[in-house]
Amino acid sequence: MSKRIQQHASLWLSLGAVLLIGIWPMLTGNALDRETAFTVLRAVALASSLNILLGYTGYVSFGHVVFYGLGGYVGFYLISERGWSLWLAILAGGLAAGLLAYLLGLAILRLRGAYFALATIGVNEAVRAFINNFEPFGGPTGMTLNFKIYKLYGGPANALQLSFYIILGLTLLVILVSYWVRTSKFGLGLLAIREDEDAAEVMGVVAPNAKTWAYVLSAVIPGMVGALVFFKNGTIEPGLAFPLNTSIVMIVMIMLGGQGTVLGPILGAAGYETMRDFLLVSPLFKNLQLAISGVLLLIIVLFIPRGLVGWLRQRYPKVRRLLI
Amino acid sequence: MRRKLYLFLGLLVLASLVLVGCQSTSSEATSAPSSGGNEAEVTQAPAEATQAPAEASEAPEAKEVTVTIGFTQSQTGKYNEESSSQTQGLELWVKQVNDQGGIKLSDGTVVKFKTVYYDDESTGDKVQQLYTRLITEDNADFLISPYSSGLTSMAAVVSEQYGKIMLATGAASDSIYTKGYERVYQIYTPASRYLTGAVDLLKSLDPNLKKVAFVYENSKFSQAVVGAAKDYAEQQGYEVVLFEGYDPGTTDFGAFINKIADSGAEAVMGGGHFQDGSTFARQLYEKQLDIKYLALLVAPADNGFSELGDAAKNVVGPSQWEPSANYSPESAKAAGLAWFGPTSAEFAKAYEDAYGETPSYHAAGGYAAGLVLQKAIMDADSVDPDKVKAALDNMDLLIFFGHIKFDTSEDAHGLQIGHEMVYVQWQDKDGKLVKEVVWPKEGATAAPVYPLR
Repeated sequence: MSKRIQQHASLWLSLGAVLLIGIWPMLTGNALDRETAFTVLRAVALASSLNILLGYTGYVSFGHVVFYGLGGYVGFYLISERGWSLWLAILAGGLAAGLLAYLLGLAILRLRGAYFALATIGVNEAVRAFINNFEPFGGPTGMTLNFKIYKLYGGPANALQLSFYIILGLTLLVILVSYWVRTSKFGLGLLAIREDEDAAEVMGVVAPNAKTWAYVLSAVIPGMVGALVFFKNGTIEPGLAFPLNTSIVMIVMIMLGGQGTVLGPILGAAGYETMRDFLLVSPLFKNLQLAISGVLLLIIVLFIPRGLVGWLRQRYPKVRRLLI
Repeated sequence: MRRKLYLFLGLLVLASLVLVGCQSTSSEATSAPSSGGNEAEVTQAPAEATQAPAEASEAPEAKEVTVTIGFTQSQTGKYNEESSSQTQGLELWVKQVNDQGGIKLSDGTVVKFKTVYYDDESTGDKVQQLYTRLITEDNADFLISPYSSGLTSMAAVVSEQYGKIMLATGAASDSIYTKGYERVYQIYTPASRYLTGAVDLLKSLDPNLKKVAFVYENSKFSQAVVGAAKDYAEQQGYEVVLFEGYDPGTTDFGAFINKIADSGAEAVMGGGHFQDGSTFARQLYEKQLDIKYLALLVAPADNGFSELGDAAKNVVGPSQWEPSANYSPESAKAAGLAWFGPTSAEFAKAYEDAYGETPSYHAAGGYAAGLVLQKAIMDADSVDPDKVKAALDNMDLLIFFGHIKFDTSEDAHGLQIGHEMVYVQWQDKDGKLVKEVVWPKEGATAAPVYPLR
């Protein structure tokens, strides 16, 4: 038994870190702590999902927010216009994002390096333009949820509480998936693709398939998170659903924590969000928060380019087993 | 090499810290102090700011309470300009009220105000978190909405569940107010009534004209505006002979102008944004189309519209507020409404003195939100949220921004039903084009010129 725990020590560490973020507001019972933890968990879930593609497979997606936005739109439409329950809408949001990733993967994962990165930006803009002109989704003005819908979930206060539990669940799920990918044969294939795609194919990895499934896996959870977040926000519109900026922030979080590791995106996302929160409300820095965070990022990227976890692994070889 | 790098980074950090220092002092200099700013010069104050209700003088003890107004401002991102003007307007109001000694309630309590605000970065990521912070940590008593309808609906989910009153300025969409919120109050005229006043104006000018054409940009905003205006025009007995949208970015309106000519329309309404609206107006002029009335969205309200020269002459357009809008105690009397606060000219002058620029309608909206809150607290004679809500529900008055009255029905609670867009017209004054407010009558600076040419 203890051997098994030891074997999966790094998984317990990652799950523990997420649980810690989740339990903190439950202990304090403070609504603000809950809202703060929500944004941190959202960031962790998005960054960890992208890590499956970026960290393990080595494909940089600058438009990953498209899955978040699409999942959000599909989920929101089903709740608001079709009267579906939140649970089904979240599943549908995830499915829609997964389906889009599958179809896109067949087409654009043939591209490599910068070409793939550029194509993902194009996809994000194309989907945004489509939604802008798609009347059932409200076109450019989007949709707004009727406040009464929250009464089905015990009033708005309970709905926000429920959203928090769901985001905690989704984040734990993404960590499990990420760990499974990292330690499975499938994941080994992805790592091989990252190092040298041609060599991996020679060794028997069916690269197109593996890449497509990695893409789908990295898209499903952002779709579910999108459905949840926009339910909680009560409104959705193209500008809020597909911000290119969020894609870039996701990449930054992964780089901060250490790409290609399970724990890295958790630490990176939590660290980045905490820093942003601090700068945003601190009386001294609030007018210059973007400049300060830029300088901090510059320092981190210059001195620990492999991210926090990469640096720890290099500095303390003994803990390598713990930090994967 | 490494040492040089450290040195460089050290300098970078130092420089950014210095910048932070400069920024915080400069922001204090440009924006009015939020509370206790008694040392600053007294600017034009709202007329009734110090006027206590009748019983006030009898109350012996003077207790002072400071009411916190919380909101997020888009200090960065795409809404920065509009949102900053809005905050400046609000801050000006706070300063004036506090300088005048606050609001005196009948039990002797003196109410003063302070603001707390954070940057929402023009995105929805943090809006709910920041509004929760404003309510639970900063103990905000009243809230002002962020700029834009999208961010406002997000904030409303939080403000409603804590029972906080939120005055929404900068959020014109109708949809927020038809979603069951009970404590969100809209200051702006909703999108569905952007052009209806232009129909009323036309009716007052020429009761015999019957044929109207709508040509508008194919964007959701213009569609919402024009769709509502069309329904209204039909109710008023007009025959809509043409209802046609053009793609955003259209530069040749020849085909549409021919269609207008074929339809026999005597009045044309529509447009979209500045660029297409001005092009449309110019080409209508060049083709010498025989129409009597032209009302376009957005473009005529912009000062750049006058560069069209003769093509801009007598074109009508809606605006939320204009510095020249002539709302005054006299016009309130004429309309049978109560008057409150400074006149447009007094507000515009105070704003120019404080910030050195002419106030935009976003700034006026911010100031108006404060003024409405002030009047509601005075009417309620309390800062208790339920009493202030009741006062807002009963509010029916004229301020420099226009008529303020809220829908109190269950379906559209808080929707603005009093405020009218003001309609400007570019009129030829001794060979020079001047923007005049021509509608509604209580705010007019000049009589409308009719027909178009």
